[in-house]
Amino acid sequence: MKSPVGILAASCHLPQHKRSVEDLFREEGVNFSSHVAARLGIKQVPIRNGQASESASNMAVAAGREALQRAKVDPLTVDVVVEYSIMPQEYLVPVWNMSNKVQAEVGASKSFVVGFSGGGSSNFMVALSSAAAMLSENDSMKTALLVTGDTTIPGNRVLNPDDPVTVMGDGASAVVLQSDAPGGVVIDTELWSDGNNHDICYIPGGSLIHPDDISLYRMRLDKARYDAFPKAETLRRLSDKLLERAGLKFSNVACVLCSNISSQDEAVMQQAFEGKVSPVCASNRESHGHLQGTDFPLNYLSLTESGSVKQGDYVLGVSHGMGTTAAVSLFRY
Amino acid sequence: MNANIGIFEANYYLPPTKKALSQVFQDEEKPTEAFAANVDFEKDIGIEALHIAKNETAADLCINAAKLTMVKSGIDPKEIDLIIDFTSIPEDYVAPTWSAAGQVQKAIGATRAFATAINTGGCASYQTTLKVACSLMSANDRYNTALLVAGDKTPEFNHNYFPITVVSDGGSAVILKKNMTKRRILGVEVATVGRLHDMWFIPGIHNRKPEDVGGKYPRWLHVCGDVQRFNKELIPINLFMFRKVMLGVLKQVGKKMQDVAYFVYPTFSAWDLKAFCQAFNLPLEKVSTENMHHGHLQETDMVVGYVDALEAGRIKDGDLVMLATNGAGFSWGASLVQH
Repeated sequence: MKSPVGILAASCHLPQHKRSVEDLFREEGVNFSSHVAARLGIKQVPIRNGQASESASNMAVAAGREALQRAKVDPLTVDVVVEYSIMPQEYLVPVWNMSNKVQAEVGASKSFVVGFSGGGSSNFMVALSSAAAMLSENDSMKTALLVTGDTTIPGNRVLNPDDPVTVMGDGASAVVLQSDAPGGVVIDTELWSDGNNHDICYIPGGSLIHPDDISLYRMRLDKARYDAFPKAETLRRLSDKLLERAGLKFSNVACVLCSNISSQDEAVMQQAFEGKVSPVCASNRESHGHLQGTDFPLNYLSLTESGSVKQGDYVLGVSHGMGTTAAVSLFRY
Repeated sequence: MNANIGIFEANYYLPPTKKALSQVFQDEEKPTEAFAANVDFEKDIGIEALHIAKNETAADLCINAAKLTMVKSGIDPKEIDLIIDFTSIPEDYVAPTWSAAGQVQKAIGATRAFATAINTGGCASYQTTLKVACSLMSANDRYNTALLVAGDKTPEFNHNYFPITVVSDGGSAVILKKNMTKRRILGVEVATVGRLHDMWFIPGIHNRKPEDVGGKYPRWLHVCGDVQRFNKELIPINLFMFRKVMLGVLKQVGKKMQDVAYFVYPTFSAWDLKAFCQAFNLPLEKVSTENMHHGHLQETDMVVGYVDALEAGRIKDGDLVMLATNGAGFSWGASLVQH
């Protein structure tokens, strides 16, 4: 990449209302036990209140506005709005995409929009990598607004009820990227996918194959294939490859940020990343559950606010998602 | 941006079954709104029949196009570094949770590739995807070959996109490579007017109305267009926005309109094509028209128009080719390819 691109500001917009995991399990008819509670490590998740202000796109607009204000960026100078949601939106994607509404409502009227599908929790890294590439390779582009809003399908917040993998909350986030930003430099991103697992996690009903079966309008996970996918090993391999390309070693990395899926998932990540996963991940997981694409911005903000990293420190962001995908980004604070 | 990224190969797949337009109009809902243009939508559209995918899924259309293009290119699928799905209408499963990109990766054996999908721009998703793909390839030494794919299967009884067009089913694929000396992509310009986001959309099963359940077709999967807003808010700016992206991409690379030898434009309708040619003072022989008989193929129009023009000998060595389109959202895009 020609000129370095960095994170100027980030923001999360989460519903005020929270539900305990125990309540959600009861509501969805899922058995809750101390064993499951320990494996998930999630106490509560933010849930939208049903008001229009907390629709996925309206939360994304709020997050976008806040991020631009924090970055002190005039919306009219935004060159591209890049969207990284995972859950279904107000209308059916790809004919409709919230990025257009965000563009209009934050006032980024000189930008164009791009949205990404199919990467699950890795979608943020895909958006980040693409936005960074556009900013560094196009002389006319300097600023990108990355944005998402994800609301879970009601009654489908416990993923894989027979053997729960995570509990999903609602929320939105935004990140402002700029060429020559002073910190949060996006050094590089490594992306990986295995198309054999394209249907490991998806929503079968409501599109062309099962257009009218509302009972299939739920996120479905193939747990056996999910467990078999070597998530931590793949992410560590990608990280090592990325670090080598950057001329660094893992010992140069100050800490690692992972998705807030479960304590079981994080334990595996801690092992693969030699105990360097930041404590902010566990803390955010307990209090918010899995917020899809918003996990990374939330953890990034918490890490920054924690004061545990200093200027010049290297941080790895790692994520695995449906598709199956794996993604690693390297940042320099 | 690296100016040596080019179109190594492109191809498309259209299902063999065709349906006469008269039958389409007979089978589908009759629009009741008035259309501002002084034309008869059914008689003047300039499209006589549509391609209809019967048992093939949308992903099948994508995969068939990808396989045809791979064979035509002679490239080993293992050489592909990036796969980007740029389909613009509902896919087999709900997006953005799922995309066909992974299924294409599996079907063609592109084991080294990273697969993702771009879900914005409507029919202009081709230009948005070109912009992203070229930027990713330019920024990263490890991305040398990219496969862009799309597969559109229209939900049953929704081929009539009044007042814009009538749509066929089909798929397309484009292989981009670095170090090309011909067919180089000189520049891509995209513009979006986000305030028109809710003028053209598909409600989705979560927004279905009780009266739609058990009806002739899943109406919640059908496009809803606000024709009044279309007339008042889109038509007045459409050619202005085309001009903006077309002049924008020319300015990017230091070229002028008169340098462009050939234009690839979507097959929305005969009157739309005529308006485009008149607005930019273009003779019909400089604009893609061979593909009109296929019907409108969403974002795949750009690939079909380009491939058909190449095969008809209308694009020659040394020609500067502009591909321009618009799409839901609404976005406009233009790209320049140097032959």
